[in-house]
Amino acid sequence: MSVETVKPPRFSILSDNERVLGALMLAPAVIFILALVGLPLVISIAFSLSDVTVGDTSLDFVGLENFRRVIRTPQFQRAVVDTVVFTIVALLIILVLANILAVIFTQDFHGKWLARILVILPWATPIALGTLGWLWLLDSKFSPIDYVLVQVGLLGPDTLLGPGLHLNYLGREFLAMGSVILVHVWRLTPLSAVILLAGLTSIDQELIDQAQVDGASGLRTHLQIKLPLITPIMAIASLFGFILIFTDLVVVFVLTRGGPIYYTQVLSMWSYNKGLEGGALAEGAAIALFFAPVLLVAAVLILRTVRRIEVN
Amino acid sequence: MTTFVEILALKKQFGDVKAVDGVDLSIQEGEMLVILGPSGCGKTTLMRMIAGLEIPSDGEIMIGGQQVTKLPPRARHIAMVFQSYALYPHMTVYRNIAFPLKAQGGLEKEEIDKKVRHAAGALGIESLLDRKPRQLSGGERQRVALARAMVKEPSVLLLDEPLSNLDAKLRASARDELQRFQRRLGITTIFVTHDQVEAMGLGDRIAVMLAGKVRQVGTPAEIYGESADTFVATFLGSPGMNLLEGAEHTIGFRPEHMLPVDGAKIREGTTRYIVTVDRVENLGADTLVYGSVDDGTHVVAKIASTLLFSASTGDQREFAINPAHLRYFDKETGRIIAPDAQ
Repeated sequence: MSVETVKPPRFSILSDNERVLGALMLAPAVIFILALVGLPLVISIAFSLSDVTVGDTSLDFVGLENFRRVIRTPQFQRAVVDTVVFTIVALLIILVLANILAVIFTQDFHGKWLARILVILPWATPIALGTLGWLWLLDSKFSPIDYVLVQVGLLGPDTLLGPGLHLNYLGREFLAMGSVILVHVWRLTPLSAVILLAGLTSIDQELIDQAQVDGASGLRTHLQIKLPLITPIMAIASLFGFILIFTDLVVVFVLTRGGPIYYTQVLSMWSYNKGLEGGALAEGAAIALFFAPVLLVAAVLILRTVRRIEVN
Repeated sequence: MTTFVEILALKKQFGDVKAVDGVDLSIQEGEMLVILGPSGCGKTTLMRMIAGLEIPSDGEIMIGGQQVTKLPPRARHIAMVFQSYALYPHMTVYRNIAFPLKAQGGLEKEEIDKKVRHAAGALGIESLLDRKPRQLSGGERQRVALARAMVKEPSVLLLDEPLSNLDAKLRASARDELQRFQRRLGITTIFVTHDQVEAMGLGDRIAVMLAGKVRQVGTPAEIYGESADTFVATFLGSPGMNLLEGAEHTIGFRPEHMLPVDGAKIREGTTRYIVTVDRVENLGADTLVYGSVDDGTHVVAKIASTLLFSASTGDQREFAINPAHLRYFDKETGRIIAPDAQ
């Protein structure tokens, strides 16, 4: 009796080999990351170490010269300070407001769905469009905020906010800085509130009941039971907020372009001004690379927090 | 003994659902009252209203002679242990136990420390004070929850199925421990459970609930031996009481009161039934015989294994019941009929 050997079809050999199949399946993701993240990073490092400009695209190695030159300029120094100040101040305000909003939304009240939609709107709006809206609200001549302040008697001759009829929000140093922070707070509070709300609703109701039975007031329950339990989630929300504000170009670009003078200059704006508007590609790249260590730390912190949540 | 917790015509409605539908209950000072009922009977809602976690739709709650119906939990001087133990996961055992004292306020740090260590000592968990809840076993968690409940010396202790998360063996010893602990402190305790074994073993008195109403309150012996209605009679005991339709009344008798006639000497004057056997279940100490009487009603007999009874499906066997063990219930209402009214 002859035994006929069954030959497996060629195709199944390929798909049965886990090493080949695995590499094949991973390839699109790897190519995507290398092309869109890795390559630009390598190019910007190469640019920052060279003397490339828009007019002279040859890469001549100049070492750390670009970094040295960039650091010495007052615009850069101001941009570093402003980026940090905007990020930290906005983030603190966002966390407080998001906490309040999240607590409000854990309660039941009439019109809750409408309030939820209104709160989420700033996040759903394209940043550039939302910021344009703010540009009009903060206009030096036609600001409706000024109009309201005049009507209620806070602005104008012999009032608290001075004799003029306009505050000129974007034309004065601290008001302009405040305006940038305000827009960041406006657009990121909804996201943080929703993240915190998800955290708060995931807390076991028995724990909150227990705190009540143990005699804790609402405030104590929030500060000592709920907040510690959502700390990991809050850390994620803060780190995302941090990255979004720290690297943001749009708000400053639309609102102030870094002005007045360079009082609201941030790293991304200054890098854009130098590298693209000014054509000094090498210096622009050098400025942008100052983000790298900060973002690296933020990314590591996010990953560690996520792992801690998983472990618990 | 004096009444310490008084519940008057208490009602709670969620939308159209009457979770608690007119409950009157008085709990004596220092007693352990068990509220027993199937899930969804309203027992947890009743407990939550006593704790102040739910506001009643109607009725009153008095604790220690004081009207507390609308007071928040922290004004009631009660403590509660939840089914999950609800230990604060981010706090050590020490901080968990200290939490009610800190929330209460007005105590020095040394005083808090003394009380925490005393409560931990009473429950034998001094060595666990630095641990986090996730590092504890089920039994240890239960003790921590109990220590946290006792630390502020409440006047009423509320326990919501605190033993149901323990495995069977641990549950028996935890039950014993809980009872000793409660007796030693003499604290008025309300214990909610759906487990009748737990209720019979623990309660000074038991309140049986169904569909938002208390059907009977009494000592374990009373509610088992003198069940007030067919619901209580069939809910208690495993299996519950057999019910047969008689000419005038519903007749009830417990499975363990059915004695096989064959071979044994049975006194005259007993009530006898011929049972067609469906199934025999040997549980080790007892044998359960499932079958039906001549009108088709299903009955269960529980026979001690010492009687060496054996039967198989289809057999017809005669069982005798001492008339003293027969109970009569009203056909309409299901309420028990007093012996002299039969």
